[in-house]
Amino acid sequence: MHGATLSRWTMSWFGAAIVLLVAAEALFALGFADPVAAPRGAETLAVVHLVTAGWLGLLTIGAALQFVPVLAAGRLRAAAASLPSLILALLGDLALVGGFVALGRGAAAAPHLLAGGAALLVAGYGGGGMMLGLTLRAARPLAAVPRLVGLGLVGLAATLVLGAGLASGLAGLLPPDPAGRVADLLPFHIVFGLGGWLTATALAVSYRLLPMFLLAAEPSVGPKRLLRLAISAFVLLGLALAAVAVGVDARLAAGASAIAAVAAIAVHGRDLAAIVRGRRRRDIEASGRASLLAVLTLWAAVALGLGAALLGETARVVPTVVHLAGFGWLSGLGLAQLGKIVPFLTWLEYFGPVMGRRPTPRTQDLLPSRRLEPWYVVFHAGVWIGAAALLAEAPALYRFGALMQGVAVAALLVVFARTRRLAGVAAEHLREGVDRPRLFVATIEPGSKP
Amino acid sequence: MTLYKDVDVRTLLRKGGEPFRLIMAALETLAPGQGLRILSTFEPKPLYRVMSERGFDHAARPLTDGDWEVTFTPSASVPPVAVSRGGEDATDWADPIFHLDLSALEAPEPMVRILRQIDLMEPDEVLFAVLDREPVFLLPELERRGHRWVCAADEARTTWRLLVRVGEETVS
Repeated sequence: MHGATLSRWTMSWFGAAIVLLVAAEALFALGFADPVAAPRGAETLAVVHLVTAGWLGLLTIGAALQFVPVLAAGRLRAAAASLPSLILALLGDLALVGGFVALGRGAAAAPHLLAGGAALLVAGYGGGGMMLGLTLRAARPLAAVPRLVGLGLVGLAATLVLGAGLASGLAGLLPPDPAGRVADLLPFHIVFGLGGWLTATALAVSYRLLPMFLLAAEPSVGPKRLLRLAISAFVLLGLALAAVAVGVDARLAAGASAIAAVAAIAVHGRDLAAIVRGRRRRDIEASGRASLLAVLTLWAAVALGLGAALLGETARVVPTVVHLAGFGWLSGLGLAQLGKIVPFLTWLEYFGPVMGRRPTPRTQDLLPSRRLEPWYVVFHAGVWIGAAALLAEAPALYRFGALMQGVAVAALLVVFARTRRLAGVAAEHLREGVDRPRLFVATIEPGSKP
Repeated sequence: MTLYKDVDVRTLLRKGGEPFRLIMAALETLAPGQGLRILSTFEPKPLYRVMSERGFDHAARPLTDGDWEVTFTPSASVPPVAVSRGGEDATDWADPIFHLDLSALEAPEPMVRILRQIDLMEPDEVLFAVLDREPVFLLPELERRGHRWVCAADEARTTWRLLVRVGEETVS
């Protein structure tokens, strides 16, 4: 079969993801975790993993289960693994988070939860990566954008392996480590996770989705250039990791990797500017504006990191850079794209079988831009307040920023749920005898293959 | 093997007519992968450049009575064509009765317009559409509804040409 169909489980991945984000923001807002005073504290690590291995990871896999078959114009391979992978990843994340909490309290269950959680995460995300990898493999030869998604999967694998190593170390499963090398792996785990896996995939996705939503031509040269730079960054990061593992100075390789990564982001930025200038849709919708705001936050994070590196103050800004990248850029982009993807997939699910045969509402009618806009503003304001709080070392302010983000995300969750249930659709457009879409699972009607 | 659509412009030329528009119109109705064979009273050199820009190679052959036969074949570098089940015989399909230009429309609008048009057509009639994105969700839906299609991108993958032959649709 040529072409793509609706992904049955994407909404389930999205649903689990956004619920975990609301939970994480609530825990930050309540002060359960305090990234200002204890950026590496057990509670902070617990909540951070609700955001990364929970929200961002599940969101990215869920989106890719729909997006990669579209890129590849073919069906999803090993699609039966969708639900088991989600369950394993979700259980794994909850166990890992529980493990960190137990670790902070010195509870005996901590090693079991950490090791078990890591194993379940490897199985769940491994299943997700396998489906995507097989789908990409079947579509070879690949253009630059799908290759970038493939590179993101390499980043996912590296993140999982390093994370499993770190969790095993914390669980006491590894032999005593006099040189403390396991702890040296932490920066690589973070960079491979936020950069190699999530940012690489987000950049790839944005190359397709932003031109689509802004009605602009897709850049052709930029993605190839970006891919080359991203591969260089990966290889150099791998070298730096090898250097750390054998106890050699890794700064040169790590610095060169960072330069390649910044150059890749610059290429993307230039292409994005061309997309915005060359767009045929004059008014950019709320989701488009929020996506651009997310990209601006990425640049801000990069600028802050570069500036601090030049001043020799890197350590001081690491939590802020990670915060801006994780919330402003990756979460911001994710929430922005959900504002477009949820109504589109819901439209396709409910109206797809009758399109062309009877009048259908526009996708914008399922989720008008004005319902999203205020919450995007509140979310990003909360992100910047959080960034300021980290720089100023003001825990109360950080909690306030997290509260704003949490309120915005919870409101968006309600907006998306109403969209799924066709709350804004006029009665004459509803199909008689057909149930409204369910919140977390797409209904594939008979005759169409999942 | 390439199949060719024949366009004989000799009568038109002898009457003093202008064949360019006729040839361009024929070009628009080609199935992806199909070539064009032109019979003319002179070697139509000005066409070579135009056709080359559209991804066709040419081969010219003088005929006995001073006429020329020129075949335009899709260049090998043009990306492969995707075909639905039963769409392999697209070169034998009837000429399209509808031409839709669906570029610059946001998804799912191109898909809706094509299916709306098809709903008004009779079995075996053919529709031609130009899109600026690969209609990945439409293609399986067409097949699901019993239609046949052929879809090809241009070299830069900025334009997709879609030919749909309406099937005996089952009402659902």
